[in-house]
Amino acid sequence: MLEADVEVDRREFTVRAAIHVAPGERLALFGPSGAGKTTLLEAIAGLVLPRRGVVALDGQVLTRTQRPAVCVPAWRRQVGLLRQDPGLFPHLSVRDNLAYAREVDPAGSELTDLAAALGLEDLLQAMPARLSGGQQHRVALGRLLLADCRALLLDEPYSGLDAALRRTLTGLVVAMVSQRGVPAVLVAHELADAQAFAHQLAVLDRGEVLQAGRPDEVVRQPASRRVAELIGYLGFVPVTAVGPGSYGLAGLGAPPADPALTAGIHPDRVIAGAHPDRGLVLRGGLTGSRPAGAGWEADIQCDGTIVTARLPDRPVAEGGELAVTAIDAPVFGPDGAAVAADGLPVAGT
Amino acid sequence: MPQSLRSISGALSVVAALVIWVALLGPVITLATHLSAGAIGHALSYPGALDPLEVSLEAGGVTLGVLLVVCTPLAWMLARDRLPFPRVWEAGLLCSLLLPPLVIGLLLVFMVGPYTPFGQLIGHFNLTATNTFLALVIAQVYESAPYYVLGAQAAFDSVDQRLEQQAALLGDRPRRVFRRVTLPLAAPGLAMSLAIAWARAMGAFGAVIIIAYHPTGLPLQIYTVLQETGLASALPYALVLLVVALPLPLAAYIWSARARGRRRG
Repeated sequence: MLEADVEVDRREFTVRAAIHVAPGERLALFGPSGAGKTTLLEAIAGLVLPRRGVVALDGQVLTRTQRPAVCVPAWRRQVGLLRQDPGLFPHLSVRDNLAYAREVDPAGSELTDLAAALGLEDLLQAMPARLSGGQQHRVALGRLLLADCRALLLDEPYSGLDAALRRTLTGLVVAMVSQRGVPAVLVAHELADAQAFAHQLAVLDRGEVLQAGRPDEVVRQPASRRVAELIGYLGFVPVTAVGPGSYGLAGLGAPPADPALTAGIHPDRVIAGAHPDRGLVLRGGLTGSRPAGAGWEADIQCDGTIVTARLPDRPVAEGGELAVTAIDAPVFGPDGAAVAADGLPVAGT
Repeated sequence: MPQSLRSISGALSVVAALVIWVALLGPVITLATHLSAGAIGHALSYPGALDPLEVSLEAGGVTLGVLLVVCTPLAWMLARDRLPFPRVWEAGLLCSLLLPPLVIGLLLVFMVGPYTPFGQLIGHFNLTATNTFLALVIAQVYESAPYYVLGAQAAFDSVDQRLEQQAALLGDRPRRVFRRVTLPLAAPGLAMSLAIAWARAMGAFGAVIIIAYHPTGLPLQIYTVLQETGLASALPYALVLLVVALPLPLAAYIWSARARGRRRG
């Protein structure tokens, strides 16, 4: 079990975060750039000393700021860290990079078998500068595998690589973590990467964990409007309660009981047409549209707010009227916290 | 730009570079053209004619040892910001770099001369820091150390600290990280800095003439012969100085280039 509950001072704010990752479990830290995700990883790895807090791995305290203070140096932690820059030693061949960790035999079968599994068997004599980005990441991953790490930290390791390669490498890491039963933490600023990797998703903003939970849970039920914004909700429309657990657009029908209620609209959770039985129906003029992935992205002017929706078919011509339905749109109160279907605040974790 | 103009401009650049290169190499070319094998043999055949060479090589070797042992850690600490007020330290190094060697020599007399606290201290061990081998080494160290420290600092600076962190995370203690990662990656730059320091030490004259007139090293020998018997007699010693000073920088340059080439695969 990897446990960290730390406060690390940064120039702009203090990172205050607590995470618990069970053996074999994968946690993704998701948030905007500069949210403190990397700082948290560095505190776990022993590269940054927290102002306050505890880091423990498999019951062994690695960092404790309270007396008796403990700070196990990075080289004794057996915590592997993979960054965006694979960090291969440029003066060593692929074989020597793989065998860098102690007690690894450069000519041993463990190394050659792993190299074959990673598709590196023909590159063992090559120098890192000769490798492609994907190959370098494979070597870095192999080096961590051979180092017998007790925990794996991944700091946006595959940013800048193409999507197919990212999927392949993520698959390799997932298989390795499951096989070895080590806790793993991934830092990601692409939600898709975090979802593809993790059992648990923690959303960080300005050093605070705003919400943690299963990735699908966090995406469908954001605890606050800020979390919703971070995970891709692009439109927020004013709504009013029209019945127990039911909301309608403010200003339509009865005057709003609480005009500060807003519903978050995620572009991927919108279907074309008016389906009042399935969710919140939005109508408005089309202000713009563009191809997105295999479908189309449409901007709809809805009661003074622009709502973005991704639809499978090309929408009507610009200026035309369009009706869409937002499925299970989360509703946020005046303080930005999510409110439950019965109108009560949702407890954020 | 049209292709023809581009090729003309390229050719002009090469010619200009060649002119500058030949101009910089001018003294060496002149030396080669003004010397004959007979003159060299005649000048160097006197008894004790090569003693200054021996003195220079010995003092240069000791100087390199001092620089390696004392100045390498200083350069590393500067590169890794391990010292408080690092800019003050760097300014101090630049000061000693900017001082004319002759002035360094004068000041060294006031610093390590026989009537100074340092001079009296080493006097208890029957040592003197003026007109001795020790004085020659001190003068060479003062003339070459800033070049080595600043060069070595740049060499350590060029090593990505994330690689050192990665080595630590893979289980290496700091000393092992230094031996396996920092040193090999900084080595080409360190070698070049050491080679430059060697050339400075071998050619040290300004400070040496003030504080270490004896024992006579090669630069002083050239000056003395020039004063006593004229320009032509001094040239063979200039050639000797070039021949002994050049191989180390050349070897360091070739080795550094090959090390960088190996990294590129």
